[in-house]
Amino acid sequence: MASSSGNDDDLTIPRAAINKMIKETLPNVRVANDARELVVNCCTEFIHLVSSEANEICNKSEKKTISPEHVINALESLGFGSYITEVKDVLQECKSVALKRRKASSRLENLGIPEEELLRQQQELFAKVRPVTTTAAALVVLELARQQQAELAQQEWLQMQQAAEQAHMAATSASAAQQAGSSQDEDDDDDI
Amino acid sequence: MSTHTAADKDSAASANNKTISLPISRVRLIMKSSPDVSSINQDALFLTTKATELFVQFLAVSSFNNGSGKESNSLSYSDLASAAEETDTFHFLTDILPKKILAGDYLKTLEQMQDEEADN
Repeated sequence: MASSSGNDDDLTIPRAAINKMIKETLPNVRVANDARELVVNCCTEFIHLVSSEANEICNKSEKKTISPEHVINALESLGFGSYITEVKDVLQECKSVALKRRKASSRLENLGIPEEELLRQQQELFAKVRPVTTTAAALVVLELARQQQAELAQQEWLQMQQAAEQAHMAATSASAAQQAGSSQDEDDDDDI
Repeated sequence: MSTHTAADKDSAASANNKTISLPISRVRLIMKSSPDVSSINQDALFLTTKATELFVQFLAVSSFNNGSGKESNSLSYSDLASAAEETDTFHFLTDILPKKILAGDYLKTLEQMQDEEADN
C-alpha cells in the first residue's frame, strides 16, 4: 500500500491491525466501516502530533536524536500523561526480551570457537554424511530393482502356468477326439 | 461498582498489553514523514508505538461511552466526530474529522454564499 504511492502522507497503520485492536477493546460492538477508516487516520495524526512535539523538545535540548525522554515529555505536554506509566512498562518488557535474545546468541559465540573453525567442522560433517547418503540411496535402488524382478518373475510363472494349462487342454481334447474317432462302438464314459 | 469494574479492566488490559500489536516499522515511517524529524532512538519508537495503541483504545472507548450507539451496541462515524469536539485532548483531530453534512445542505450553503457575492 505504501509502496505504490510516492506521497509520504498516505502512510497509515495497516487496517487489519486497527480492526483487531478495536475488536479487542470493544468486543461485541458493531463499528461502522467509515468509523474504522477514521480511526486509522486518527492513528497517523496522533503519531505526527507526538513526533512533532517530541522533535521540538529534542531541538531545544540540542540533541540530534529523539530520545525516550523527549517522547515522554511530549506525551505529558499534549495531555496524555496518563499513558506514561504503562508505556514505560512496555518499554522495559521489550528491552528485557531483546536482552534475552542477545544473551542466547552470544552464548554460542562464547564457546570460544571462531567462525572459520566452525565452518571447517561443518564441511567435515557434510563429508561424512555424503557417503552415507549415497549408500542409503543405493540400497533403495537395489530394493526397488529386486521388487521389480520379483514381480516379473511372478508374471512369467503365471504365464507359464497358463501356457501349460492350455497345452494340457489342447492335448487332452485332441486325444479325446482321436479316441472318439477310432472306436465308435465303445461306450466310453471316460472323463476327459 | 465502578472502581471494581475499573480494576478488573486494568488487570485484563495489562495482561494483554505487555507487548506491542502495531507494526513498529510503519510507525517509524510515519514519524519520519513528519517535517524536520531526523533520527529516532529505538526505545523512543517503542514508546510512541505503545502510546498510539493506548490512544486507539482510549478513542474507541470514549467515543463509545459518550456516543449515541451505546444502547444498540454500535459505534458510528458521528460518535467519533462528537468525541473529537468535546474532549480537549482530541482537539487535534478536528481537522481530519469534519462532521458530515448532507450534500443537499452543502449545496444550499454554496448557493447562499454565491448570492451574497452577487449582491456585493
